[in-house]
Formats: sequence, C-alpha cells, structure tokens
Amino acid sequence: MLFNSLTFVVFFVIVVVLYWSIASWTLRKNLLVTASYIFYGAWNPPFAALLFSTTAMDFWLGRQMAKAKDQRSKRRWLVASVCMNLSMLGFFKYGNFLLQNFQWLVARIGIIYQPPHLDILLPVGISFYTFHSLSYTLDIYRGVLQPTKSLRDFILAVSFFPQLVAGPIVRAGDFLPQLVRPQPLRAGQFLWGLALMTLGLFEKIVLADTLLSGSADRVFDYAGPLVALDSWAGVIAFAGQIFFDFAGYSTCAIGAALTLGFHLKDNFRFPYAAIGFSDFWRRWHISLSTFLRDYLYIPLGGNQVRPFRAALNLVIVMFLGGLWHGAAWTFVVWGLLHGSYLVIERVCRIFFEDKPWANHLGTRILAGVATYAAVCIAWVYFRASDFTIASRMLGGMFGQHAQGDAILSTREILQVALVTVGMISVHCSLRDSNIETAVSRLPRWAVTAAWALMACAIILTQGTSNAFIYFQF
Amino acid sequence: MPSFISNFKERLRLPRLFFRKPSRAEQIHGGPPLEFERPIPPIQWRGITVVVVLVVLAASIGWELCCRSIGYGPTLNDNEDLWTLRRRAVTPESIVLIGDSRGWFDLDLDELQKGLGKRPIQLGVGGICGFPMLADLANDKNFHGTIICSFVPRLFFAPPGSPPMEIGEKVVKRFHNQTPAQRASEYLAMPLEERVAFLKQEELDLGELLKRLPIPNRPGALVPPRLPPYFGTLDRERRARMIEACADPNGELARRIQQIWIPLFTPPPPPTYISKDVFMAKIGEAIGGRFRDTAAAVERIRARGGKIVFVRFPHSGGLKELEDRDTPRAQTWDPFLKMTGAPGIYYSDFPELSGFSCPEWSHLSAGDSVEFSKRLVPHLRSALKM
Repeated sequence: MLFNSLTFVVFFVIVVVLYWSIASWTLRKNLLVTASYIFYGAWNPPFAALLFSTTAMDFWLGRQMAKAKDQRSKRRWLVASVCMNLSMLGFFKYGNFLLQNFQWLVARIGIIYQPPHLDILLPVGISFYTFHSLSYTLDIYRGVLQPTKSLRDFILAVSFFPQLVAGPIVRAGDFLPQLVRPQPLRAGQFLWGLALMTLGLFEKIVLADTLLSGSADRVFDYAGPLVALDSWAGVIAFAGQIFFDFAGYSTCAIGAALTLGFHLKDNFRFPYAAIGFSDFWRRWHISLSTFLRDYLYIPLGGNQVRPFRAALNLVIVMFLGGLWHGAAWTFVVWGLLHGSYLVIERVCRIFFEDKPWANHLGTRILAGVATYAAVCIAWVYFRASDFTIASRMLGGMFGQHAQGDAILSTREILQVALVTVGMISVHCSLRDSNIETAVSRLPRWAVTAAWALMACAIILTQGTSNAFIYFQF
Repeated sequence: MPSFISNFKERLRLPRLFFRKPSRAEQIHGGPPLEFERPIPPIQWRGITVVVVLVVLAASIGWELCCRSIGYGPTLNDNEDLWTLRRRAVTPESIVLIGDSRGWFDLDLDELQKGLGKRPIQLGVGGICGFPMLADLANDKNFHGTIICSFVPRLFFAPPGSPPMEIGEKVVKRFHNQTPAQRASEYLAMPLEERVAFLKQEELDLGELLKRLPIPNRPGALVPPRLPPYFGTLDRERRARMIEACADPNGELARRIQQIWIPLFTPPPPPTYISKDVFMAKIGEAIGGRFRDTAAAVERIRARGGKIVFVRFPHSGGLKELEDRDTPRAQTWDPFLKMTGAPGIYYSDFPELSGFSCPEWSHLSAGDSVEFSKRLVPHLRSALKM
C-alpha cells in the first residue's frame, strides 16, 4: 500500500495503537512482522512468499557462514547468498532485458533468435529488500555482524514496513540491534515522527505530484521538438519531482519508524546544494551510495589503488548503480555519466584543489551551479524512456530546436521556477545543518504554522495515489 | 569549525551504551545494542500538536462551508477504482453500458431495469473512447451479455495515445491490475466522498485550483483546452446526474460549459513536427484500424451469443453544429454500422427521442434523462431483439 492512501492511514493507526498498547516486546515484534507482510501483500499477496523465501534463505546462509571453520567455506556460503539474491533480482527485474540484449547480440552475427517474452510481474521494491537482506550475509562475512539467532527478528529487519519497498536501504546491522530491547513511548519522538510523516507526504503529494510532475510528464511525453525554455523547465521539474518523491518517501519512512520507536538514518541531505559530484553522492540516496561504497567500491580496491584503477572502480560502481535503478540502457548511461562526472572531479581536484581561488565563494557558487546543471543533464537519461527522447530533450535544451514547440503554460513554468528556487534556497541554507537543528532553532509559532500549512495543503490536494517513482526499482 | 560530517556523527551517533558490557540479550545480535539515535528537536511537541490539529480542523470545516456555499455538493469521485468496482459486478449475462459521458448522464438505470428486465451496469466514463472497454469485454471469454455503447465520433475514433484512448485504457488496466490496497482505499474513500463536498479530485484539489489562476499564456503556446467544471453527481452505481444549477440552459454554469465544449470538440491543429499530409494519412489509418478492430470485437461478442447496440445520444446548439460539420453522419455513423454489422439507434431518427434539449449542449438534465431512457427502451428492445 502507498503512504499516500487511505488504506495506509487506517492500517497505520491500527498498527500504532496496537503496538503501543501491547506490553510484551515479543508480541510487539510479532505484530510488526504481521503488519509488514500485510503491508507488502496488499500489492500482490503471492510476492509476500517470495520475500519470505529470500529472507529465510539468507538467515540460514548467515548461520552456515558463522559456523564455517575457514575463510574458504565462509566465502562459499557468501557466494551462495549473493548468487541467490542476485539471481532472484536478475530473473524478475532483468529477465526480459537480458533476453532482448541477447537477441540483439546474436543478430549481429547473423543468428535470428526470437526469445519468448517472459510475462514477469516485477515484485514491488525487490531491489530494496534484496539489498536489506544481502547486507546481512555480507556483514557476517566481513566480520562486523554476528548472525542473529532469531528468524523472526531477521524477518522484521528485512521487511519492516516503513522502509520495505522504497528505502532507505537499512542494513541488518543497523536494525537488528534495535530489536534487542523495547524503546519506551516518548511523546516528543512520537510527535516528531508524525511531523516528519507530514513533511514527507507534503513533499510527495503537493510538491512532486501536484506542482512538478505535470510539467515533467508533458515535456518528456511530447513527441516533437521543444524550445529551450520548455525543455529546461521539464528537466528541472523532473529534478525537483524525483527529489521530493524519493526524499518524501524516505522522510515518511523515518517518521513512521520513529513513531514505533525505531531509528533510521538519513537518506538525503539537501543534495541540490552539493558542490561537486562526490558531495552530491554524499547527500543523494545515501543508503545506496554507502552500500555500493562499502560492498563494492572498497572491495574493488577503492582509493588504495593506482589512480587509473580507482577511476575505473568508480565508473564500474556507478554503472552498476545505474543498472540497479532499472533494466534499461538509459539508466546505465545515467550511471556512467555520474561515474564520468566523479572521475572528472577527481582530475580537477588533483590540478586545482590547492589553487588559492579554489575555495573562493564565487568559485564554490559556480561549482554548485555546474553540479546542479550536470545532474539535471544526467536526469534526462534517467527519465527518458529511450534514447530518441533523450537526444530530442538534450537537443531542445541546447538550442537545436529554435523553431520547436512551446507546450507549457506560463503558470506551469512559474510553478516549476518557484518550487525550484524555494527548494534550492532551502538546500543551500541547510547545507551544513540538518532538519532537526533547523526545527530546534525556529520559534514555536513558525513550527506550528509550517506543520499546519503542510497538513492543510495535503488535505486540499487530496492525494491522487500516484505511486512513488522508486517503487519500480 | 567542525565539518558537517563530524557534526552529523556527533548528533546521530550516541554510543551511550558503549562503555558498559552488553547484556546477554544484547549479545544475540553482535554489535552495539543501539548504534545511533535520531535527535528529536527539543520543543513543546504536545502543545504544538494540539494547535496544529485545531487549525487543520478549523481550516477543513471552513473550506467545506466555502465549497458548499458556491454550489458544490458531496459526490463520489469518478476514478479507476470506482469503475473497477462496477466492472467486477459484471456477470456473463449482464447488461453493460459503456462509452462516453452521454450514455453515462443520459441513461437512467431504474428505467432501463424496468424496460429490459435486468439492472444494467454503468461503465461509461466522461471524455472517453469506448473502444478499450468494448475490446476488454470482447476478450472476456465468459461474457455473453448485452452491451449498450454510446457513440460520439470524435471520441470513439480518437487515435491511440490521445487522452480519450488513454483514459479508457487506464480504467481497463486498473481492473486487471488492481491491488487489494487500492480496492480497500476505494471502500474507505466512498463514505467520505459522500459526505464531504470538497473531496473532488477533478475540480477542487490544489492542482485544479491553481489552473484557475488568471495568468495569460505565451503567444503560440500549445496549451490543452480546459475541461468543464463540476456539473454532475455520481452514486455508487456510477449513475451520473446533472446538477440543478446546470439544468437551466441560460444559467451561468450551462453557458460557461457550452463555451468549453467548442474548443474541446474542435480538432487540434496537426503537430508542427509532421507534415500535414503524413499526419492526415496516419489519422486515416488509425480510424480505419478502429473500424476493423471494433468489427472484430463485435464479432467475438456475437459469436458467444452476446449482443451489442450503438447509440447516438442527443446533443444541441453550437456543439451539434460543430459535430455535424466535422464528423457528419454519412462519414462516421453510417459506415461504422455497416462495417460492424451491429444495430444502432440515432436519436434524431425517432421523433420521440429528438425533442430533448441539452442545457449545456452535450448531456440531458437529470429529469430528462429519466424520460429519455423510458422512451429509448422500446428501441433498445427492438434493436437487441429482446
């Protein structure tokens, strides 16, 4: 079920009331497991069985790994876990993509092969829960986590409903320790959780779906060439939409977890105020970038190798990061673009970091603007469903369609401009802070007014139950 | 000055249990018992929450009263989930009403039940092409009931990818893919929508309110025409009825809607990125394809013992002139019936059906729809050989 649906409101109220009225910690955890499977099964009940089987397998493999006497056996169990998880992901998410590419490849050598189209329904959030589960066996292998003795606790760590389908990617090592003993009900924490949920829903329903998605959809769905203003407005609208959509989900998840006494880490830290691409990736989808860093980039050698190899590692990581988002070459190009950006940034650092002008305010502002523009250009490949659309969009953005069409109304352009300016201003002003500090510093009336306004705007917008973009990943 | 990262670590990672030996229970999971805690802003949350709840309640009540004072009443939103609810009610022998908003507003379920002996299921949708619904019923191997399909040429022949087709495909897709959560949300939403006037997604949500801002557009901008404002109510059977405020043809609302139909029913100019000839050829091809696909769907339904009748409902004033000019009967209705081999009822062929006037040029008033349905029944029985 979606956070922005009536079903979730009723479900959440029931879960929270029952949860805090039960004294037994074991029963509370059982309730959360049941609620999480209902939450997931509400999309497609059979997929709950798939979720359970992945989880149970990793639980068993984790125990085998812990029992293993030597490193070699441990590695075998790890390989089994990685293969099991990735083959599941590969089959459901990349099955048709792989077949299509195989067909294309053999056609190059003159073999005509018509693969059957696999009618595979993608289980919601499979990329997220696979990583939740995989982090457990990876951490046991790395020796930073002991396997849990409780299957129920591990099931809860993988399927905890606030973060189950669209992140943040919560590592078992961060969540399992929180299941040791119950947290008491604290009014401040509970109500702050509700306030965060309101903020998340406001970002999703009002900012992403109502004020930005219409312009982005119209521009990307338009079949003809567009003038530069409309092209840029559409891309900038999408840049805002995807941030508010995904950060909104993460904020809701963090808030919902807090109301139940659990603490999830930040997934976004004002990314559009980033100066440089490494800074961007420290602020955007942090749970994914740290996952890729710890489990892929560092094992590949990280920075502790020759510069060329380190650059190649970066590109490999971002290539796979792009592919994680979706089974299409456009996502791969998006990932490779970010990989290239990171490499270029490293080269620039080598040559210019020590220059006296490098830390001037003007340089930093210019670097921030360049980062935002480059990120927007990369978003074109993320949003476009094929390369024809992407190249048409880029053509429009860089003035190749002076005689193109103008399709956005003045109101839509103003909406996109106002929301974007507001978003970037907030990101810049809170760049070195966090939401908690900002709220602590605000006068009480301002917090009240902001919370009430957001709640009123959500009610006024009536939430049309648009799915979150990251559900498809 | 500490960096942001160290500041963040300081705030979020509080290893307060780090300096004591973990208990046995804590050792179950290896690592530290609680690695980090999110900071909670130290302010008076209880007081703030009470004020927020009161403000939101007061604002909602105020908005509700405001909406009612300007003529809005509680009614269900017509969305894919409500449609799916009715689609699920279709049995193999059902009488099903499909197509655009004319069959939706102009047919009274009680009168049809009296005349046809069975209560029909209303699956018509505003501004839609009826073909996706027809194809869906034709593909439903169990269905061998009766279909009454509203026919407006500009909508029925809408090309793939156009809004009338997309809306039709969207509702059919939801029927096949609806999740239990979506179904539950619809059951929860209906009682609220039946009581709260401002819950109107197509009219009173923030996005729609922003569209009303009087901001002039750039010259030459290809902005889609506006849709008509609220003029009907809907019940759980999806029976649409025109509201009283719209039933007066000289009333402000009816006149406003009349002027909205004209740009909506006027064919848009060919896209700038395709030559006119190519575009017209593509449109011709799409219409030809729709003729053929409809004929095939009709054939499939008939082969299973099902029945179908197409109905052209009343329309008036400037809209009738526009439709008669742009989609003349001789080029649309007549060849369409010939090709599909299905029976059809054109309202103006029968004096008892042609005396009705549509207040806003496109639909009958709630009162007239009852009378029209009563008079239509004998024609339906005859066309369907009942």
